[in-house]
Amino acid sequence: MLGNDIVDLDLAKIQSNWRRKNYLNKIFTAEEQLLITSAEKPDEVVWLLWSMKESAYKIHNRKTGIRNFAPKSLNCTVYASASEIKGKVSIDNDTYFTKSDIQLQYIHTIAAPVYSRLEEIKVAIYELPNHPHDYKRTKPGSISHHGQYLALVY
Amino acid sequence: MNKEEIIEALKTIVQPYSEESTALTQIDENTDFINDLKINSANLVDIVLDIEEKFNIEIDNDSMAKMLNVKATTEIIAQKLEAHAG
Repeated sequence: MLGNDIVDLDLAKIQSNWRRKNYLNKIFTAEEQLLITSAEKPDEVVWLLWSMKESAYKIHNRKTGIRNFAPKSLNCTVYASASEIKGKVSIDNDTYFTKSDIQLQYIHTIAAPVYSRLEEIKVAIYELPNHPHDYKRTKPGSISHHGQYLALVY
Repeated sequence: MNKEEIIEALKTIVQPYSEESTALTQIDENTDFINDLKINSANLVDIVLDIEEKFNIEIDNDSMAKMLNVKATTEIIAQKLEAHAG
């Protein structure tokens, strides 16, 4: 099982005001809030953590059959190096592994239940108006839409 | 506040976060915020915060977890209002 999530940063800027009172506290753990408030680019960290949670939730939801909105119960740990941003998302007794790509226009995260699977995932990202109409026929392992972007993983 | 009044107030709250004009006019108990109104999950938090402000109640994490549709959300608001009044 795979998960993925894309955040169109231009749209996120107008769609969500994460600086709103109590907003961060509803979604992020104390450790995650600390990462955000101490970051040089807090917007980037907000959407990085959000895409990690969303991509992990997409696997967890299919695995457990539970549909809910409990972003704070997904605990993110980020391992960033100069070349890549990897992470871990834990919920109850399950752990999912993530790899994220931060671009100027978007943040994209892929998730897998097994760490070694991350390197095997193939990613396709399309920007409007170039979204393929028949992408469902290609049987992607996970689909994510936001703003200008369509992200598929196999 | 009865159930119908809560649903009316809820309509006003969710409207700015959805572009599904037809689904918005047809909101009832069975409306799902994500599947029917196509509300972005990051905006569900705004809806929860708007509800807290509008009804002057506090939504805990366990309640928020269930707030994916009008029915569950209306029930939670009614419960909290009752607890508040008591």
